[in-house]
Amino acid sequence: MINSSNGMISTSSTSANTQSPGLKTYFKTPEGRYKLHYEKTHPSGLLHYAHGKTVTQVTLAIIKDKPAPSTPTAPPSGFSTGSGVRSAAARLLGASNGSRALSFVGGNGGSKSISSSSSSSGRIGSLGTSCSSNSMINSNFDGKGTYLIFNVGDAIFITDLNSQDKDPIKSIHFSNSNPVCHAFDQDAKDGHDLLIGLSSGDVYSVSLRQQLQDVGKKLVGAHHYNKDGSVNNSRCMSIAWVPGGDGAFVVAHADGNLYVYEKSKDGAGDSSFPVIKDQTQFSVSHARYSKSNPIARWHICQGSINGIAFSNEGAYLATVGRDGYLRVFDYSKEQLICGGKSYYGALLCCAWSMDAKYILTGGEDDLVQVWSMEDRKVVAWGEGHNSWVSGVAFDSYWSSPNSDGTGENVVYRFGSVGQDTQLLLWDLEMDEIVVPIRRCPPPGGSPTFSTGSQSSHWDSVIPVGTLQPAPSMRDVPKLSPVVAHRVHTEPLSGLVFTQECVLTVCREGHVKIWMRPGASDSQSGNSETIPSTSLKEKPLLSSKIGSSTYKQ
Amino acid sequence: MGAAGSKLEKALGDQFPEGERYFGLENFGNTCYCNSVLQALYFCAPFREQLLEYYANSKNIGDAEENLLTCLADLFSQISSQKKKTGVIAPKRFVQRLKKQNELFRSYMHQDAHEFLNFLLNELVDILEKEAQAVKSEPETSSPPEKTANGPKHAQANGVSKEPLVTWVHKNFQGILTNETRCLQCETVTARDETFFDLSLDIEQNSSITSCLKNFSSTETLNAEDKFFCDKCCSLQEAQKRMKIKKPPHILVIHLKRFKYIEQLGRYKKLSYRVVFPLELKLSNTVEDADIEYSLFAVVVHVGSGPNHGHYVSLVKSHNHWLFFDDENVEMIDESAVQTFFGSAQEYSSNTDHGYILFYESIGASNNKS
Repeated sequence: MINSSNGMISTSSTSANTQSPGLKTYFKTPEGRYKLHYEKTHPSGLLHYAHGKTVTQVTLAIIKDKPAPSTPTAPPSGFSTGSGVRSAAARLLGASNGSRALSFVGGNGGSKSISSSSSSSGRIGSLGTSCSSNSMINSNFDGKGTYLIFNVGDAIFITDLNSQDKDPIKSIHFSNSNPVCHAFDQDAKDGHDLLIGLSSGDVYSVSLRQQLQDVGKKLVGAHHYNKDGSVNNSRCMSIAWVPGGDGAFVVAHADGNLYVYEKSKDGAGDSSFPVIKDQTQFSVSHARYSKSNPIARWHICQGSINGIAFSNEGAYLATVGRDGYLRVFDYSKEQLICGGKSYYGALLCCAWSMDAKYILTGGEDDLVQVWSMEDRKVVAWGEGHNSWVSGVAFDSYWSSPNSDGTGENVVYRFGSVGQDTQLLLWDLEMDEIVVPIRRCPPPGGSPTFSTGSQSSHWDSVIPVGTLQPAPSMRDVPKLSPVVAHRVHTEPLSGLVFTQECVLTVCREGHVKIWMRPGASDSQSGNSETIPSTSLKEKPLLSSKIGSSTYKQ
Repeated sequence: MGAAGSKLEKALGDQFPEGERYFGLENFGNTCYCNSVLQALYFCAPFREQLLEYYANSKNIGDAEENLLTCLADLFSQISSQKKKTGVIAPKRFVQRLKKQNELFRSYMHQDAHEFLNFLLNELVDILEKEAQAVKSEPETSSPPEKTANGPKHAQANGVSKEPLVTWVHKNFQGILTNETRCLQCETVTARDETFFDLSLDIEQNSSITSCLKNFSSTETLNAEDKFFCDKCCSLQEAQKRMKIKKPPHILVIHLKRFKYIEQLGRYKKLSYRVVFPLELKLSNTVEDADIEYSLFAVVVHVGSGPNHGHYVSLVKSHNHWLFFDDENVEMIDESAVQTFFGSAQEYSSNTDHGYILFYESIGASNNKS
């Protein structure tokens, strides 16, 4: 499998001059074909000078219900009235021609007038000429919708996931700094559900719906935190809502600090924190005043925090960083539980399984690492990328096609994307992970002390709160991908699984939406191949993991 | 220039490493290939240390004949003994000597930094070997091994058990590759060792150094026109061949083959491929699972879109700060700026600054240090 994926890359590199023509619009998996459905991108010719300075990230935002009539975080009244008027006008238009089908007709004069009257800028105007985007705004004003939020250069773009329109329906430009990370909370109680972190360290919270209602190209009704980097002026690296945190969110910065904010507080209070005494040690400081926002600073590591992820219920927070360590914290206790070092180099991304039993990490060693919370160590390395692994995610919507649902053999499907432009899908079957065979069995003696530190990976019980050193190559079981597909021409930066599709995004701001093999699709023919494909990597000698029988 | 120096001093402030000197090197007309490599070598801590030690000792012996080694040692000692912390030095004697020694470097044409590094290391080794022989005063008539201008291999006399002299240059840079060939007829594995001072890697678009190293050691089948003469079968046979690293060097120098001869064009072309290189690296293509960790300390960067022109600069890590050396100029850069030298994901990009030679030093077990 590895060889074949190498082969793939070498053929692709020879055709690199011709670029996109070499890319297929589908890829096959044991469960069927994933087909390229839509592509989303930013308006062409956009700020090429800004390229390379920022890396595009994508956030999925689902607006569920009608908005609350008024939000406690409403902007100055004049502004809010203005947008209210606009939305009313839009509703009228929407009622008259709002059906989705019309959006592809073009030449919708009514909605065009909205955008041109409200904005003198050429950018919105040029979006307007693609026409369908205008009716899109209309049809989504008070309905629910699924949106993609992505950053390119100095702008945030919002696009409707379910429209085949390539161009975004909304762009928001930042004058002073570039937006670099964002997060959406679909269960937000009041209006503010979208977080945006900037390279200057500044952070905004806004209502996504309010942005969609407004036709301008500036952020509206925003709360501004860490203004001009007053608390921390290093780049925001990753941002996340605390699940069930009642409006609390965390921002990880390039200097190894993470701040906890509460969106209900304005960011005006004095938030000075004591000087960090030991850069190498984890420490938490709380703000001295109850009005302060941020309310706490966690110093996590030396160098950048590259990614953070909360477990589903918000009990745990995982961080990965420049120092190559994955760290897992008990969020409410503010305690380090476990963690470990990459094989080598920085870790770039991390993600939890839905049941919070496993964490995926990806990094500069080209490996996808599977970390077990139960064992507090790495249980598998996925080999298959030909460059750094920049995005990982479990596919929580996937159910093993050959399982009856009650089987003991739990199978996890996950995906990874890399700077090699490839999307890889993996199956993690706990029954199949095996402890690799020892090359040099200990010459008698007790297994615990026999081969020293190198083999301790599989022998020792790991105490709470300790970080594991990098395991040795021979001590970690290897996984091979189920499928490897070159999805973009540019290095990738992230992936998202939804119920219907897989989204891939490249560093330069192009998003591709791959539809899952449909239920009605030719499943029968493809499913025949499942056993042979998934068994191909089954090693001959195996002692099994999971049932903790892997002593020696 | 002086102003630039003080700017760097200001940037470092009280973090300026004690005893360290950051000096730009004057360009004598297309000598940036030389300057960029010299900076990388200067900030190769064990190499500099041993060169200065050698210089101190050889001075006691008395003025030996000038050669490339004494010129290099002289230059390094000149830099390290400067009163000022920053500034510019003219490596005049060294460059003159280099041009005298090798006609390749005599012209004012654009030169290849990797060729220069290779020439220099082999030359240093030759000088040290000759000196050692002179000390032994054994009239052994082993002429210095033949060098090919481009080959990184310092070919060993085939199998003849002449005790190879291990100089401090060897101790720093030399590694051993083993070339395993398995005859597909009789299954006999023939292993042939060769030494190297650097690894020249083929590169691919949007790949990593890790991946290039894997490809370097991937199995290759010898067949058709390219069969293998099996000693056991006494005939040409199909065979499988792979290169593994038997002894990883203390200083791992990786050369990215960015200049590729394109047959259709009848000329060399620069590959601007994006090849990412991590700040820490482990070798997976070793004979034993050594898991030796390396840390990146210098990058020689080729600037420009073609092979016959352009410019060389270097990035150097010194006392946990990254510095950018561009001939006379020295600047401090952020660690994250190193990634702007990975290359371009698309052809015809405006970015033409590409990492060309990478210098990694093994961390942890430093058994190679003298």
